[in-house]
Amino acid sequence: MSEFAGIQASVSRRFHDPATLPKEIFSDPEIYQEELKRIFYGRYWHPVAHRAELPELNSFKTAWLGEVPLLIHRGDDDEVRVFVNACAHRGALLEQRKCGKAKEFECPYHRWLFDTKGCFRGAPGRKDFRPDFRDEDFGLRTLRVEEYCGLIFVTLSDETEPLSEFLGEAGQPLADAMLDDGKLTLLGYQRVIYQSNWKIYIDNDPYHAPLLHAAFRLLDWQGGKGEMVTTDPEGHMCILYQVQQYKDNGFLKDPSVVQFKGSDDRARVIALRPVTGITKHIDTINIRFARPLGPDKTEVHYAFFGHESDDPEYAKHRVRQASNLLGPSGFISIEDAAIYQRVHATSGDCGYQRFVKGVGKERAEWTQNDEVSNTVWWEHYRSVMGFDKA
Amino acid sequence: METVAVVDKLFAHYAAVLDAGNVAAWAELFDVESNYAVYTAADFERGLPLAYMLDDCHERILDRVKFVDEVWRGTVEPYRTRHIFQRTSLDTAEVDTYRVESNVLVAYTDANDVSALLCSGRTEDIIRIRDGEALFQQRKVLLDGTPARYLVYPV
Repeated sequence: MSEFAGIQASVSRRFHDPATLPKEIFSDPEIYQEELKRIFYGRYWHPVAHRAELPELNSFKTAWLGEVPLLIHRGDDDEVRVFVNACAHRGALLEQRKCGKAKEFECPYHRWLFDTKGCFRGAPGRKDFRPDFRDEDFGLRTLRVEEYCGLIFVTLSDETEPLSEFLGEAGQPLADAMLDDGKLTLLGYQRVIYQSNWKIYIDNDPYHAPLLHAAFRLLDWQGGKGEMVTTDPEGHMCILYQVQQYKDNGFLKDPSVVQFKGSDDRARVIALRPVTGITKHIDTINIRFARPLGPDKTEVHYAFFGHESDDPEYAKHRVRQASNLLGPSGFISIEDAAIYQRVHATSGDCGYQRFVKGVGKERAEWTQNDEVSNTVWWEHYRSVMGFDKA
Repeated sequence: METVAVVDKLFAHYAAVLDAGNVAAWAELFDVESNYAVYTAADFERGLPLAYMLDDCHERILDRVKFVDEVWRGTVEPYRTRHIFQRTSLDTAEVDTYRVESNVLVAYTDANDVSALLCSGRTEDIIRIRDGEALFQQRKVLLDGTPARYLVYPV
């Protein structure tokens, strides 16, 4: 019996329903390794970049999918390709910069050269290579890519369904958050490492919002009534609501930073399974590219965007708001950061996490502040990990 | 007192009030027209305008005190800090106003009593000296990389 099979059996005995989670799924290293295989390298689409991060032809960005290094490149032909960022020879990391421009990639180890389509283009000592060496066998490993509203998705599995099917009803809220045409401009990044399992990080529930975030109360900042969309089977969660104009109650000396100055009042909060958060709130557009770093650490790159049509004044407002509102130290979201870590801190106590609010209601009755919608993902996770076999 | 001594006294006071957890006193070290921002150095050098914290007016600096002392208290995980500044340059910008650069290291200790480096970087400051007292007109912190944890307090 493999080490995972042992923990799989013991978890299955405690994981009877998707509203009652045995906490060891957040801390066990064998489960984490199996999640990499079944989820991160399995039949899922993972957003790894937005086209706005590749502003010119031949722009590239490096990233990670689990423990797989990625090289994301916008070619001369405007097509975005994603390669495994490893030389096809001895496996040295091919490009070590976070971003830049390149018309070819050269490995420093033995000067092997690859073009921007991932093809092997030459190497010193080529005439002495083994007799069966063929150029076409030594290109960069190329991943399946699909693009939606400028968002670049990859999958390592040949069996993954088309992206449109994977997104399902989450596709429209996602397009809303990307301002329909996806013609975004990159404002910058805030990066953080949470001492938390990736599933705790992404599975923030809608129940908490008006309760955890003191700013909502102190600023008398009421959210509008919204709609919840939850997809099957993966459980992408989308909250759709309307931006409410902030009414100054005197708490802040400079309320301009939290005011709504745009015209697009669609607000969207999306948890795209397995681990990408996307938010359009007030005038802030934010994609949270996350990467698990083991069972107890999650690295998140909060990327913030404007739109190509923004005039200079509005662009400046977006920068002010994005720099202060929804990042790891943001007015509202810093409390989420604390909760990810405080929840993870108890994951070794052999207990359970429980969902209660809205559980048992018919799906048509689920509301914006229920937490029952989280259980769709957990039913899926339970099945994918084989924890439903007891 | 010489300019260098006045500036060093401001830096020492800045570290002392932050390390004492006195964010209100931190705000008092900024002039009435002032700004405070924390950037990631590589992104800033690349021309990306987003900051990690962006208080582009004195009112925003005062609002940051409110968030730390009133809004977030009891929810965020507190930590102790030790700020170490090393001045690397000091030049006159205009009468009574100086451009000062420094390296900064911040150590932190969390609730588990484990100490580690929170962040490293450098600062670009504009400091005005009036009647022998120095105040920041600008403090720009450029972090070398990702902080060890989410930042609650100013750097």
